[in-house]
Amino acid sequence: MTTLLAFVRFCGIVARASLSNPPPVRRIVEEAHGIGVRSLPILLVVSAFVGTNLAVQGYNAFAPLGGERLIGMFVALAGVRELAPVMVAAMVAAKAGTEMASQIAVMRIGEQIDALEVMALSPHWFLVTPRLVGILLVIPALTMISIFTLVLCSYGVAVYQLGLDGNDFIQLAAATTRPVDLLSCAAKSLVFGAIICLVSCFYGFHTRPGPAGVGQATNAAVVVSAVSCAALNYVLSEVLFG
Amino acid sequence: MIEGLAGLGRFALFGAGVAWRIVTPWWEVGETSRHVWQLVARCFLPVVAVVFPFGMVMALQGLGIFAVFGAQRMLSSLVSVAVFRELSPVLACTLVAAQGGSAFAAELGAMRIQEELDATEIMAIDSLRAHVVPRVVAALLASPVLVLVGSISGIAGGFVTAVYVKGEPEGVYWANLWALTSPVDVAGGLVKAFVFGGIIGLVACYQGYFATGGAAGVGRAVNNAVVIAVTVFVVVNYFLTTALFGAIGVG
Repeated sequence: MTTLLAFVRFCGIVARASLSNPPPVRRIVEEAHGIGVRSLPILLVVSAFVGTNLAVQGYNAFAPLGGERLIGMFVALAGVRELAPVMVAAMVAAKAGTEMASQIAVMRIGEQIDALEVMALSPHWFLVTPRLVGILLVIPALTMISIFTLVLCSYGVAVYQLGLDGNDFIQLAAATTRPVDLLSCAAKSLVFGAIICLVSCFYGFHTRPGPAGVGQATNAAVVVSAVSCAALNYVLSEVLFG
Repeated sequence: MIEGLAGLGRFALFGAGVAWRIVTPWWEVGETSRHVWQLVARCFLPVVAVVFPFGMVMALQGLGIFAVFGAQRMLSSLVSVAVFRELSPVLACTLVAAQGGSAFAAELGAMRIQEELDATEIMAIDSLRAHVVPRVVAALLASPVLVLVGSISGIAGGFVTAVYVKGEPEGVYWANLWALTSPVDVAGGLVKAFVFGGIIGLVACYQGYFATGGAAGVGRAVNNAVVIAVTVFVVVNYFLTTALFGAIGVG
């Protein structure tokens, strides 16, 4: 409970610091580039294999009912709307989120954050704002790339491993995914990105001293952000698609 | 490239060493059971908190797809297939990696940095046996338990959305639950969990055991542990799914 209050206070400070001063553009570009490029390879691998799996499982679920042609629809509903945004959030939390938490935690125990304050620089503005804006810039793009990879790979499995008709797949997938749905996915991922960044930076700021403290902060950052994204996903789905 | 290959070789040696020590005596029974208990206790809430809403989302989207054909009664069959075979193993093990794996890497990394592992070796105690094997065995044993917990909460999540939010009849949900799933699917999910648990334990302990470079190094080890473990088991998952549930095209 006290942690939650401290977190809300932390978000307030970040919001005020971000709005009062425009953040340095060069730092934002640096962070956006770092988060995007470092998360991309694992994201591609994970989306590719989630896509292949989705096709196999969809086939298993629908074949007994004689509905294996519906696999395109299944991939579009389960993969595009739900799995891709959550998966991107989980991987970005695991990769970029843990990095933010451990970097900031190391700065905290190295007293570099105190040094910033001594120089009258707001550490929230200097450390958190560029990361926040950076992650918000790249995460919708990462989600789109992940959706594309996922659908491509499940198409490959459906056509070449399971021997289904490719035209059916494309038609059903395209009919189920309207452009609005892609926008909704981007909106979801923006919310997830903000949560990941704020939670990770929060745990980094409030780390306990020593190597064990940095480890714990990193651990807490990834678990808390993944759990809150998954829980919020239901609410967002209900609002956006329900 | 060479660096990567050398890392792979070191990991293989590490894995072989751990595997050898798991099958030969002596065992740190007390330490192992402490880790199993700790892992289950730590991951229990996160697993429920992630799989439960996912079951709810499955029901939400599934009702959408089935309503088109007027087949809403099939909802629970779809939810149970998806949860037992796929969602619960992958999601629960992601949480085990995020919570348990990162804790392993953090603990072992801190021990390495503070030279506690060297101290263990100097006292003529095998540090792999004392610190690594209990953690790997704990991951192997705790993952299936947590996946079972995840499966139950996923199905409960689907139930809540279908019955309380969307007003589907309650009896139909339970009646169709086992229409497409059999105990084989549940067992398949647990086999998956066992394999994933092994991957998580080995990768996380490897990253922590060979951590270098102070507090920042521990952070890096934790980061790598989660990312590598999740990536590897998602890839392995595809092959396991095809092997266990056999989906080669009918042509």
